Amino acid sequence: MNRSYAWLVTALAIPAFLWLVPTLWMVSLSFQPNDVLARTTSSTALGLVPLPFTLENYAALFAFGQTPWWFLNSIIVAGGMTLGVLVLSTTAGYALARLDFPFKSAITFACLIGLMVPEQAVFIPLYTMFADFGWHNSYHALMLPRMAVPIGVFLMMQFFKAIPGDIEEAARIDGVGWLQIFWFVMLPLARPAMMTLAILTFLYAWNDYLWPLVSAQQREYFTITLGLASIQSNFAQSEGLGRVMASGVIASLPVVLLFLIFQRYVVQAMTVGGTKG
Amino acid sequence: MGRTSGQFRLKLNERQAALVLLTPFLAVYGVFLVYPFFKGFWISLHDWNLLAVAFNPDAKEFVGLRNYQRVMWGRDIEWGAFAQPFIQLFGLAVIGLAIFLRRVGRVSKVTAIAIGLAAALLFVLPGFHPGEGGRWYDRRFWPTVGNTLVFVGLTVPGVAITALILAAALNRETRAMGLLRTIFFVSQVLSVTVVTLIWQIMFSPRQGLIANITDLFGGSPIIWLTDERFAMAAIVITTVWWSLGIAMILFLAGLQDISRDLYEAAALDNASGVKAFWFITLPNLKRTITLVVVLQIILHFQVFGQSHLMTNGGPDDTTQVLVRYIYQSAFRDSELGRASAMAVFLFVIMGAFSVLQFVLGREEDA
Repeated sequence: MNRSYAWLVTALAIPAFLWLVPTLWMVSLSFQPNDVLARTTSSTALGLVPLPFTLENYAALFAFGQTPWWFLNSIIVAGGMTLGVLVLSTTAGYALARLDFPFKSAITFACLIGLMVPEQAVFIPLYTMFADFGWHNSYHALMLPRMAVPIGVFLMMQFFKAIPGDIEEAARIDGVGWLQIFWFVMLPLARPAMMTLAILTFLYAWNDYLWPLVSAQQREYFTITLGLASIQSNFAQSEGLGRVMASGVIASLPVVLLFLIFQRYVVQAMTVGGTKG
Repeated sequence: MGRTSGQFRLKLNERQAALVLLTPFLAVYGVFLVYPFFKGFWISLHDWNLLAVAFNPDAKEFVGLRNYQRVMWGRDIEWGAFAQPFIQLFGLAVIGLAIFLRRVGRVSKVTAIAIGLAAALLFVLPGFHPGEGGRWYDRRFWPTVGNTLVFVGLTVPGVAITALILAAALNRETRAMGLLRTIFFVSQVLSVTVVTLIWQIMFSPRQGLIANITDLFGGSPIIWLTDERFAMAAIVITTVWWSLGIAMILFLAGLQDISRDLYEAAALDNASGVKAFWFITLPNLKRTITLVVVLQIILHFQVFGQSHLMTNGGPDDTTQVLVRYIYQSAFRDSELGRASAMAVFLFVIMGAFSVLQFVLGREEDA
């Protein structure tokens, strides 16, 4: 058993390394000087070891490029969207799961049927709508459409449904109002679910490409995902390969760190969001 | 909840509380999802030029279903059972297979119906073709749908099979296995622009790592992204690398539900390793496999970034996919009406798969 286990790990380590190679290569290229890269990308160990080594690409990125600005935009947009989704989903999810009101099942159905609508089916009408309002090239234009997607409501509703009813009843008997129960009793219980939803939303917002591409035409409102797409088409000529790769590393850093720190939540989010979303 | 909060306490009855809590979401949902959804249909019924309507809101003209006709139909279209004999015969064969599998009880009724319907479409749809002197009104639409299907047809099995094998191998709670899982998963969190940036340069014939390796062995580099034979393969490889993680995680979750006893009993009968995988893991994982496949179909049918950023749909339209065609029709050609008709087409297909996903999920809960 033990020997076969050791064999299995060794056998899997090879494909795992190969799986990592593309990412490692990007990181390694970002630490190599551009004039060397213009000649060859395989200086040391096929380019997987950053020798000759330089930090110039990162320095240049922060000195002249728009990358830091785009990075900041992404933080604002992803952060704002996450906050918005949390507020809208916990409130609606709680009401749908625990409160009784007229037309409840019809409203629940109306909310969840929206899960069927893919982003690509609504991005054209959304574009004309935001154009009519004169809202394009703004942070709220980048944030609002995703806040309307009911996946978060669904996740929170499922979570609140699973909480036993006696906690609520005890508070009711003490004469506590519904909103107070929601705020003081339910929200603290919902922290793990909110964490899962927050990470799912942040990852989505950070990596979203189609809607920012349509909505943000001015470079000042590009997110880092969009900005990176705009410089990669002419990477070799203008910016230099090393600098583009450095942008790629910067663009990936927050999501990779988020993933490594909160791996448990990310995996859970993907499992739940995947099967039901 | 001391006295201080009591003073400001807003006493609402249950209905009022529900109203207060539901209104914010319903407002955002109604304005930014429900309304655009119906407006999309509305636009698809009009001759609607993006720029003309932007300057003059009355510049649109109601044309009924003409946009759908212009996109999907043509002049003198005929139907024949042997227009695309291979695909159509394959469709017929799959219908037979679905009936057979249902008869012997290997698949559930829903699965059999779903497979049968998909196969029937495979038989019927490719049968349409322009007759003598006829032509499609839009020559690019159906080839684009075809490319999208080829992409899905290559990517989904690629992802599902690789993820299944990895999940089965990594299904142990040890540190080494955890680390390996992390490695296989991490590419999933990268954005499409980072992924395409990496792979564009990986595949580059002059600077690419793949070319550098073939160089070592004295081979001549493949011009992956601009060669008709390899462009689609390059996009598929990129996508499999990128989106393996979710599938692997779902398979791992499914594997947790298979009882250890089954494997121990099998081990007594000298069935372990590949045999145990074939006779225990696969049959017990049938539902998860179906679910992963449906999810992956939904996900990859919406492919856009890989085609848009790596190949620009080329060479010669061989990697042009549906969402990219919608995007271009709307924002390069300004033809919002036509683009919206295609978006509705996309929605109908996605909707069918969502229903299937829902039904399968229900079956699982039951």
